[in-house]
Amino acid sequence: MSGKLTLISGGSKCGKSSFAESLFSDFSGEKFYIATMLPSGEEAFSAIERHRKNRAGKGFATIEKYRDIGEISLPEGSGVLLECLGNLLANEMFCGEEIKLPNKKMLDGIMHLKNAANRMVIVTNDVSRDGILYDEKTELYKKNLSELNRKIAEISDCAVECVFGIPIVRKGNL
Amino acid sequence: MIMIIGGQFQGKTEYAKNVFGFRDEEILDGEKCDINAVFSAKCVNKFHKLVERIHEKNEDPVRFCERLCEENKRAVIIMNEVGCGIIPLEKSDRILRESVGKSGCIIAKNSEKVIRIFCGIPEKIKGELP
Repeated sequence: MSGKLTLISGGSKCGKSSFAESLFSDFSGEKFYIATMLPSGEEAFSAIERHRKNRAGKGFATIEKYRDIGEISLPEGSGVLLECLGNLLANEMFCGEEIKLPNKKMLDGIMHLKNAANRMVIVTNDVSRDGILYDEKTELYKKNLSELNRKIAEISDCAVECVFGIPIVRKGNL
Repeated sequence: MIMIIGGQFQGKTEYAKNVFGFRDEEILDGEKCDINAVFSAKCVNKFHKLVERIHEKNEDPVRFCERLCEENKRAVIIMNEVGCGIIPLEKSDRILRESVGKSGCIIAKNSEKVIRIFCGIPEKIKGELP
């Protein structure tokens, strides 16, 4: 099937989630929300709770999947919102003793979902513009996430940057 | 209301002076000004620092911004974009960064123009460039 793919990026608290959800307001098919944030720690709980509240009544069925999104099977023609790529990458990279390089696996997973979906929106993070040099692990994370963002933007029909709640279309049309 | 945003040292203040003709004494410094003065100021610089100070007083920056938008509709607000990085390790830094993001969303929503300065070059984010 492979419907429209939209990538949404931006910094912390810039309105990415609500904007992403709004892109499904006219979608009449089945809608799924893939939640990637591991529920550990008080802040994660409150973030998950906040996202849940915002999503309530918008008709999404939640799929909690912290790794291996390629294992999800979506009904043909459904809508899917993946949030967010930054968490998914961290969960994939820093699981177990050794640091993993999961980009290819993640892109394959995204293609697998995209092939089933009639509309797909991916929320990611813009993490490489604070000018701070971090330790090796974090730098590798930044590199991987930025590479994923570029590759997804390439296959996206539309790419959007959220700036203090304002969506700026960087590729294609909304 | 007009909002000018961007990274550090991109020429935001210079832009405000050139385009809106502010004199130095008309621009409040959010880092050290009298907080109540922002409700009548023509221009507030380093607004992200003001958010930090409101936080330190244990007040809600979101409510503060809503009041500001209500009471000083003609203000020009200058602030840094601070959210495009790695989540800080310290909890207080994380909360602060999120507060600046939320506050910025309120200011942007209530502004007729949002202008991002990049290397001194203005880019329209909302409304037309002046």
